[in-house]
Amino acid sequence: MRPEPTGEQRELQEAVRGLLSREVDPDRLLRWENEPAACDPVLARTVAELGWIGLGLPTASGGGGADLSDVACLVEECARGLLPRPLLGAIRSADALATLDPADPLLPDLASGRGRLALALDEPGGRDPRGWKTALSGPRGARVVDGEKAYVPDAEGSDVHLVAARDGGSTAFALVDRRTPGVSVQALRGFGGDRQGHVGYRAAAVLREIAATDEALARVQRRQAALALAEMTGGMAAVLEMTVEYVKMREQFGQKIAVFQAVRHQVADMGTTFTAARHLAWQTITRIAAGAPRDVEEASAIAWVGQAFKRVCWTAHHLHGGAGFVVEHRLRFHGERAQSLCIRWAPEAPALREIAAALLD
Amino acid sequence: MDYELSPAEAAWRDEVRGFIRRNVDPGLASETRLKGNEGRGPLALRFHRALRDAGWWGIAWPKEYGGLGKSAVEQWIFIDEIESAGAPMLPLTVTSVAPTIMRVGDEQQKREWLPRINEGGIDFALGYSEPEAGTDMASIRTHAVLDGDEWVVNGQKMWNTMAHSATHNWLAVRTEPDAPRHKGLSMMIVPMDAPGVTVQPIWVWPGLRTNALFLDNVRVPRSNLIGDRGAGFYYAAMALNFERLAIGSVGMGRRMFRNLVRLVRERVVDGRPLKDEPWVRERIARLAADLEAGRMLGLETAWAIDQGRMPAAESSMAKVFVSELVQRIADAGCEILGLDGQLHPEEPTALVEGRMQWLYRLAPMLAFGGGTNEVQRDIIGFLGYGLPRK
Repeated sequence: MRPEPTGEQRELQEAVRGLLSREVDPDRLLRWENEPAACDPVLARTVAELGWIGLGLPTASGGGGADLSDVACLVEECARGLLPRPLLGAIRSADALATLDPADPLLPDLASGRGRLALALDEPGGRDPRGWKTALSGPRGARVVDGEKAYVPDAEGSDVHLVAARDGGSTAFALVDRRTPGVSVQALRGFGGDRQGHVGYRAAAVLREIAATDEALARVQRRQAALALAEMTGGMAAVLEMTVEYVKMREQFGQKIAVFQAVRHQVADMGTTFTAARHLAWQTITRIAAGAPRDVEEASAIAWVGQAFKRVCWTAHHLHGGAGFVVEHRLRFHGERAQSLCIRWAPEAPALREIAAALLD
Repeated sequence: MDYELSPAEAAWRDEVRGFIRRNVDPGLASETRLKGNEGRGPLALRFHRALRDAGWWGIAWPKEYGGLGKSAVEQWIFIDEIESAGAPMLPLTVTSVAPTIMRVGDEQQKREWLPRINEGGIDFALGYSEPEAGTDMASIRTHAVLDGDEWVVNGQKMWNTMAHSATHNWLAVRTEPDAPRHKGLSMMIVPMDAPGVTVQPIWVWPGLRTNALFLDNVRVPRSNLIGDRGAGFYYAAMALNFERLAIGSVGMGRRMFRNLVRLVRERVVDGRPLKDEPWVRERIARLAADLEAGRMLGLETAWAIDQGRMPAAESSMAKVFVSELVQRIADAGCEILGLDGQLHPEEPTALVEGRMQWLYRLAPMLAFGGGTNEVQRDIIGFLGYGLPRK
């Protein structure tokens, strides 16, 4: 047991913290909310050049060859420093493609930042892969994809979509050029300021298809959830830290508000919640990284950590009062991410159902 | 990052489980349940003897004091497994008082007390609280005055659990009346058979016995003052830190939860399996996730001790979280039992041996005992996050 980062992981996190403290501030976050790309191209290039996007990709594909735990350390720190979501998404989608095919020719472009990939999984009809209708068809060499994908992160800003589809009775993934005829994107803005889209694929030509299985799809989703857990613990750490600083600085009734037990105890509960959530999250991240099968502890982490992040954010908002309520404050960016990450990658109800089934059925 | 037990730790856990399989049977669990803390029954005494024979009395004691020299994580594994099996716990004499004597006692005191504790010949009641000094321990009025080579102790203690069966009391007394109140206390060992010691029973909600202790000109050898004069407040805080490591274990909660899950799987209500009730499934699932969160907090605290830290904030986090989780388990358990959940715990037909109702009665004590959760939250704020006191 060693519930803390290795020396190398700590160095990586310190480097990330240094860069993001210089490059990301509330003014820029506000500006990026109104820009189509939702981030700064110079920052995007820097992040790619530093090897962050390719950290977990195979070295033969221009990546760093790191394992999921290292990538999660990176993501945790990126989330703490509010790296724009398209760039966090770039790390995630590169991981998804490399999980499916570690030798895919697109990976070097993703690692270098020349290419951006959107991960198209969910459909308007629902999130259960068994109900997905998007399908591949056509003869070898002229395969097309038909269907609709919903709430696809970075659908418009990306160059290629990685589309989960049915191929006859089995699962497959298709890489589709976003600009290819038959692809239409209805842009949406997430409440975390992130760009999403509903995407229609009408006989859209497939660049390349990746034979997969339901297990491969599950592996992709588990790794995405693991990275989401890391994002959430990173966000929680930032929110806790800023709240501790605030209550130590803010004065009311002639003294620091941290002196009031009612305030102090809320901070203590934030700390306990964060500490438990971080260990739950990292136990699951390290188990997924080691290839362990899904277990009740993993479902517990999913059920617990997202809710914990939201509770921590609510309490932080309460303790910051109006100061944290203005649009320029970092806190609300974390609060927005908390809810959207929770809904997309750590919904509580299905995880609770899974735990109950494991214990009772 | 690594959250798995090392091969040595996993082997130790398996060894403990093997010991439990050989030495814990339904008779012992039943005796432990029925006896509460009303002294130890013959099966509990036999179990403790087996622990001593195995050399497991002082699990985390250094080898130089006759212990096994196990790490804090290994001790945590042991406590968790013992509690999970419903076996009698190691007494606080071994897990709280002895480690404090090891750290603060002088060589002669260590030689005098530790071997006798290790042989099972000494059992302490813990004398901290008084009628006017509960959470505010620095207000202790029981005092001791030096008279030649003896301390003369006068005063009253409350919640002196096990005083009726203990051989000695681990007593916080005021020895420096002119010092600031935190610096005026000392820790003293008082034999229970000393003239002037009187024990009066107090019965509490879950059917357990605790005591009031009266000290009337009780004479105690001078050498029974442990460590430095005036440092008793800090020694008591140290002993309470060790005590919280045990309270912060989810072992008992896991056992209660396991029993509840078994009942839910088997029970049919209104012609429907209880396990098919959505609200029951949701509460069970939430408690399972909470138990895992609590387990992580306890394990991290033990790990931090092994790194040479004194994880006061972490142990407080575990104590607060687990004590409040046990309240939720008890509450959910009673509700899930339906009308049975309001039966007296000793009613012979009570489901799950009345344990949910018993736990419902016990649970408040876990939150205010061993240092109230308000004080624990203060500790988290002060020591964990550097919040100002003034």
